[in-house]
Formats: sequence, structure tokens, C-alpha cells
Amino acid sequence: MASAPPPDDAPAVENGHGHDNGNGNGPSPPAKRPRAVISAAEIRAEFAHHDAAVARVNNGSFGCCPASVLAAQARWQHLFLAQPDAFYFHGLQQGLARSRAAVAALVGAGDVSEVSLVDNATTAAAIVLQHAAWSFAEGRFARGDAVLMLHYAYGAVKKSIHAYVARAGATVVEVPLPFPVASADAIIAEFRAALDVAKAGGRRVRLAVIDHITSMPSVVIPVKELVAICRNEGVDRVFVDAAHSIGQVPVDVQDIGADFYTSNLHKWFFCPPAVAFLHTRKGDPVAAQLHHPVVSQEYGNGLPMESGWIGTRDYSAQLVVSEAIDFVNRFEGGIEGIRIRNHEKVIEMGRMLAEAWRTFLGSPPELCGSMVMVGMPGCLGIESDGDAMRVRTMLRKDFQVEVPIYYNSRRVEGQEMAKDKNGDPVTGYVRISHQIYNVKEDYERLRDAVNKLVSEGFTSSKLQPSEKVLSQLKRFKKLWCDDLPANQHSLEDTVADYLGVGRVTTASAAVATMA
Amino acid sequence: MASAATPCVDAAENGAGTTVPAKQPPITDAEIRAEFAHHDRAVARVNNGTFGCCPASVLAARARWQRLFLSQPDAFYFHSLQPGLARSRAAVAAAVGAGDPSEVSLVDNVTTAAAIVMQHVAWSFAEGDFARGDAVLMLHYTYSAVKKSIHAYVARAGASVVEVPLPFPVASPAAVVAAFRAALARARDGGRRRVRLAVIDHITSMPSVLVPVAELVAICRAEGVDKVFVDAAHAIGQVRVDVRDVGADFYASNLHKWFFCPSAVAFLHIRKDDPVAAQLHHPVVSSEYGNGLPMESAWIGVRDYSAQLVVPDAVDFMTRFEGGIEGISARNHDKVVEMALMLAEAWGTFLGSPPEMCGSMAMVGLPGCFGIESDDDAMRVRTVLRDDYKVEVPIFHNSRRADEEQVMDKDANGDQVTGYVRISHQVYNVREEFEVLRDAVNKLVLDGFSCSNLRPSEKVLCH
Repeated sequence: MASAPPPDDAPAVENGHGHDNGNGNGPSPPAKRPRAVISAAEIRAEFAHHDAAVARVNNGSFGCCPASVLAAQARWQHLFLAQPDAFYFHGLQQGLARSRAAVAALVGAGDVSEVSLVDNATTAAAIVLQHAAWSFAEGRFARGDAVLMLHYAYGAVKKSIHAYVARAGATVVEVPLPFPVASADAIIAEFRAALDVAKAGGRRVRLAVIDHITSMPSVVIPVKELVAICRNEGVDRVFVDAAHSIGQVPVDVQDIGADFYTSNLHKWFFCPPAVAFLHTRKGDPVAAQLHHPVVSQEYGNGLPMESGWIGTRDYSAQLVVSEAIDFVNRFEGGIEGIRIRNHEKVIEMGRMLAEAWRTFLGSPPELCGSMVMVGMPGCLGIESDGDAMRVRTMLRKDFQVEVPIYYNSRRVEGQEMAKDKNGDPVTGYVRISHQIYNVKEDYERLRDAVNKLVSEGFTSSKLQPSEKVLSQLKRFKKLWCDDLPANQHSLEDTVADYLGVGRVTTASAAVATMA
Repeated sequence: MASAATPCVDAAENGAGTTVPAKQPPITDAEIRAEFAHHDRAVARVNNGTFGCCPASVLAARARWQRLFLSQPDAFYFHSLQPGLARSRAAVAAAVGAGDPSEVSLVDNVTTAAAIVMQHVAWSFAEGDFARGDAVLMLHYTYSAVKKSIHAYVARAGASVVEVPLPFPVASPAAVVAAFRAALARARDGGRRRVRLAVIDHITSMPSVLVPVAELVAICRAEGVDKVFVDAAHAIGQVRVDVRDVGADFYASNLHKWFFCPSAVAFLHIRKDDPVAAQLHHPVVSSEYGNGLPMESAWIGVRDYSAQLVVPDAVDFMTRFEGGIEGISARNHDKVVEMALMLAEAWGTFLGSPPEMCGSMAMVGLPGCFGIESDDDAMRVRTVLRDDYKVEVPIFHNSRRADEEQVMDKDANGDQVTGYVRISHQVYNVREEFEVLRDAVNKLVLDGFSCSNLRPSEKVLCH
């Protein structure tokens, strides 16, 4: 039996099979009874597990998953728990094959064998970069051959490039991108210039790593044009890190033409955490050379099979792609309708915030999907990544607003810092997302929170810990929580958390009483 | 009980969960049945070794973590995830006698731990720390995924791979030690070749045998083997694990097999003062790269970490049993040996190893008349048992074509025994399940069952 037991209220016709219904959403059931478009009340019910107190305008980081898809996932988990051997021998691979087929149809792949399912784009990056490292180590690439990446490549991917290809001998060349950015042409011009640098002296460019939508700051990159430029300029291979793309922008892998294309399905495609796909082109000899780094008995059977078994673990998130497709098909226009409406809404909300804060958007609407960067009032004085994180934490704790904040460094060569309408340089941007569960009030709360901070004369320097507090906190950290990462869970937050206090500035008083 | 909002001060309390608190009566049979009510009742589930099990109370704890994430994932990421993982690492450190929680990394499974170790060795070859042709030693019965990992990483990078042939059936630990010494001598080639890594199972998978790892590690040290990786996938919860006693450089075990954690979570232990620790990296590189393997493993991108967050809850579960995990494993051992002897007597066969080389699993010979002559035959018999008799038990084909001149043992009818079941006993098992297995095999014998009847005919193969 290839599928999990259907829910009690499932339509009589099994979902997920049949012909593509023409709107790019993948196979739909044949002769389907027309089903009413999902209502606002049903949407609220699907996301009733979201903390209602929080203005959740950050779908981009962790995505979301509706209750009906979570229920499908739970059915798979129960199947495993009831009889794991039978699940392994009779259920798992068939279920994964169905998911791969659904993804292949979604992204316009030529063949299902082009699709592998992995945990996330971070894993896909490791697969591609490990292969490049072997190429250096085994002499197919020469030491000093170049690998190109964007300055705004995702932090984990940058580290992966360092850990694999730089270590193995590559020269890494970064493409500086302007931000705020005015047009796709500005991006293309920078890319061409960086590619010239990479190729200087006849150097081979073995791999270009290009984001489809950068994370921070978030901008839609004209990947099709950049891939074409790479082909013209003799770049060996192009890896498009499209972590954010599927469900946010149209994805047609043949049209984009990259050698490797990966996107997360749990961000904007309603799958549970976490599942992503990595697409390689059929007939590309390199496809057979890619391996999942967690080697199992499937080693050598092709990346789709290798990724389909990497030891005992919970594969249920990878088994519900069809149910996620069913979910999006309950909306007018399916996933296309969803992303178009998300785009319109996020731009509308972005402009509302920019007007209220007297700032501007970080990129024009045509370089946005369902996310947009909005400048924060310069008087907030965000002058570091630490400042940005502290302001974000304060918005979370004191205002129940969840929004990531980007610090735009002043130290970009030749670039004047854009100013807000008060004449202050804008150094901080929120990245707002709009997903189907969002309502206008979410953004109004964000608007009002920032306006309140401005009216109170808030500046980021007020949140910076003093030297005295820092040394007290270091002693606290040593005593209690040696394993906490310094860069992701600040010392101040550890103390504030433990003591149940809100504003981090009160932590110093608390530490003083504990000493 | 550790919960999402409790800070890490609970780690010390949850770490040493091996004794029953004074006032709490031991868990009852009815409570155990309730804890495993999600198991398919119709199946004689005598294969805990492959996928393990997880009680309802630990699944409920996992569900709480999952809901926390779904409710507000950013807050979960910034405030809950890392403290929760730190508590789990501390619980593991206490359970395995580690010096310090910083010696413990949590990964999905031992297959992942093996990839971490093998990738490091591959870099060592690629970067010239090891010379092409330097040896890596492994057991013939090393788990197939680990063998592939050795091939994919270290053989590819230039190592010579030497296998230790192990006898099976095996009569004593001394037989294993002797085979190991001989293979190590071959690998060392009188000192002309460096042995960079020895991969030793603590409990082999198929056939399953408890290996005297502490002794083998000591031999490795005495003979100048650089590093020892003990693949103890099955060990924790089945045998006593003290990483300092074992003395390996790298020690990995799955917590979802015999330690009541959900699927899936494992630990990789590395000694604190070992310089190699800083050189090990999780192959999925994240923003934590360079912060040490425990931190790298604690964030490998967005995924569901909930299985790794409930180790303290699994420890709590075990404390509800008389004698905690030690009591559980001792009783499992006694029961599995008792059931194995019962089966062997009923089938006219024998155990594949003596009881002291069994933990909570035992290999029992199948009647030779089954005529199991290949791994495919073994799989077909297993499928018949699952489909027709609702018994889930893995079957091992013991090849006649062993390198050494090994006399294949015969059953009471004088037939060569070429197939073995691997039975497991866990807290949810009852005697009836093993009787169902016994009766199924007896019926097959009575019906004149033979694998040659199951193999696809020439005619079928031509389609």
C-alpha cells in the first residue's frame, strides 16, 4: 500500500493522481467534485496552532504548515509506530516516490528521476559543495579555480562553501550586490563585473552559487539571466539556492536552466518542517556523481534513492507533498493565486509601513515575492547585527511582534547610505512576509510598535550591555549554560529568559542581586 | 520533569535516571501495555533491534515540543531549542559516563555519526596527513551502511580497507579477539603500514553478537592504531555503556533502538581533551560551523529536532522500572535467552552465540530444511512470516562460502543450518509472541516449506 490511510472526511476519489489540471499545481484527482474555495474561517482553523497573541509577519524564516497537512503527517507517523518494519518495506519508498513525482510536476522537471528529497536547502548545498570538494581533491579541478557566490548568500551556504570548496583549494569570489537595490539591471551589472574578476587571468570558474531570492536582505534575483550569462561566460556549473522560492515565485527549472536547483517546501509550500528538493538535469553526467553525505546502503543508487534512505529517522515531512498540493488547490488559482495575492498584500503592507515610518522599501515590487524589506526609522540607531538582534528580541518580548531585522552596513564602498524623511541614515530594515494566515492587524501592530519606540526616543544604544554587565553575564553563562551558542542566543537573553524578565536591560539588575 | 520553559538547571536532576525514586511504585503491566498501545496488536513484534520503540509518554513529550515550534517557531529557535538540546546532551553524558557534556553531540542516527568520522578521515587522506595505502580496519559483520560509508569516504580517498573475518556461529569472546588480532597483524604488515582507524561494532547487527570492545580497543592501543571508532548502534539500553571503560576515540549509539527515544536520535561521544574533536564536522554545514561538533550538530538548518529534545523524558520513563535501565536490560537479556533456548529446542537447532555474547537480542538457527541459500531467500522467508503469520523477525543468511574452512553447524535432523532469526526482547514483549514465531516455523516445516519454492522461476524472470 503506497499511501497513508485517508482521513475520515477525504473525498471518495484518491487525491494526488490523475492528469495535471493545467495550472501547474501537479496531478489532481480525475472527475473531481467542485469544492468550494476555502473560507477565511477555515483558514483560521487550519492555523489555529499559531500563537494568536503574536503578530507573525515572518513566514520567511520557518514557514507554516496547515492542520490538515499536519494531520496527514501524523497518519504516516502512526503507521511507522504501529509496525515500523512493514512501513519500511511496503510504505516508505512508495510514499517518497509519490512525493518526488509531485515535486517534479510542480517545478516543470523533465523526469521524476531529476528530483531528490532532502531535509532542507542547507543539506542540498552540502551535497553540491561536497561534490565540488572531491573534484578539487581528485584533481579534476585545479587549486585556485574559482567558485562564485553572492555577498548576500545565506550564512550557512557561505560556511559550506568555506568548509568544502575553499578548504579543498578553490578561490572564492563574492559578488557585491547593492542594497537598497533599484532594479534587476543593477544586480546583473554587478554579477557580470564579479564574473570578470573571477575569470581574470584565464581562471576557470567551476561553480556559481546564485540565490533565487536572497534571505537577508531579501531580494528576488533575475536568476534566468544570470544563468544565461554563466553559460555564455563558460562557468562549469550553476547552483541556484532557491530556498525561499517555491510558493513565492514561479519555479520552472527547465526555464531557469541551472545545473542544481534547490528549494524548501516547508517555507512557502505548506509542508511540515522540514523538506526540500534538489533538482538536477537528467542526462547530466554530474548527477550520478552527487552523493548524500550520510552514506547508507543506497550509496551508488543515485541521489534520489540515497536521499530516500539515510538511516532510521522520521521521513514523514517528506511524505505529505501531495497533501500540501491538495491544500493549495483549495484556494482560488491554487499556488499561483496564493503567491500573487501574497505579493500584492506584502507590497501594500510594506508601503503602509514605509509611509508611517517615513522610510522606503529596500527594493522595487518587481524584485519582491511574498517578502519585502522596509526601512526602519534611522533614529533607532541600529549600528550592528547585535543591535538588530536586540531590537528584534525587544519587539518579540515587549510587543509580541515577530519580524527579522537586517542591519545594512554603512561600510559599502562607494555607496551613500539612504536616508529617511527626517534625514537620518536608514541602517535597519524589517523583512516582512505575507502568507495566507496574515491579517492587516499584524502589520499595524508592527507599525505601532516602531512608532512607539520612536516617540519614546528609543535608540539601540540603550540595549547594548555595559562592560560590567557583560562580564557578570559571562560568569553566569559559565556557571549554568556552557553549551549555549554565543551568536544565536545572547547571554542577556539567557538571563532574561531564566529570570522571566522582559526587557533585557533589567537583566543586569537581576545579575547584580544574584552575585 | 524537563519542559520547554524550564532552564537548564534541571540537567543535573534528569541526568542520573538509573534508580527508582523511593516513593514511586514500579510501572505495572497494564501501564506498559498502555504505553505501547500504538503497536499493531496483531503482530508478534520480536524485532525491537531494527527500529526500536517509543512509549506514549515520551511521544507526548515530543508532541509538546513540536507544538511549541509550530506555535511560535522564532521564539522556539531563539529561546528553547538550544537549552533543550543542552539538557539532552547532559542526560546522555550522565548515562554513558562521559566526563563532560561537551564530549557529546546529538545526531539523527549512527549512520550519520559514521559519516562524520569517515569524512574526517577522508580529509586526512586528501590533505596528506595520511598516506595513500594507510589502512582502515573494519569487521566483516560491520553494518552495511557503515561499510558503504568507509567505501564512499576513506577507500575513495586512498585507504586500504582490511576486514576482520569473524566466525559465526561463535563460541566465545576469545574467538573474536583471536580473529581481530590476526586481522590487525595483517593490516599492520609488520609495522610497514599505518593503521589509521579501526571500526569496531559493540554489538554487530547481522548476525548479532556482543563484541568484547574494551579488549579490542586495548589491543588497538597496544598495536599503534591511530584512532578507534566504536559503532555501538545497538548498545545503549542493551548493555552497560561506559565510554571511559571502552576507551574508544569515537563512540556512537542510537537512542531510539533500546533507550526509548522517538525515531531518531543518536549520540557521538568524543573525548574532551582529544585534539581530533575540533576537526570533526557535521557534513551538513550551517552557521554553527567551527563552533565544535556539539553545536554544529545542534543546528543543521530548519528541521524537526523534537526527537533529540526528549532524552530526559526517556530517562524518566526508565526510572519507572525496577532497577531503571539496568533492570530493564538485565530482564530483557534473561528473557531473550530463555525464549531463544525455547525456540532452539522446538526447532532442533541452537543459538548462534553463547548467552554472555548476547544483550537483549539472540540469533537462533532456523531448521536447515528451509534451504536458505541467499540473502534474497532470507528476505522471502521473512516476508512469508510477516504476511502469512504476522510475525516480524529479521533473518540472517549465513553463507556456506566462508573464507575459513568453517564447518556449518547442523540441526537435529542433520541439515545444515544456513538461516538464523534474530529475536529481540523489550519491555512490551510477551511470551506468546515468541510462541507464535515458534509455531509458524514449525508449521512451515510440517508443510514441507523450502526456499526453492519461493524463488522466481525462469519463466517468471523472462517477463
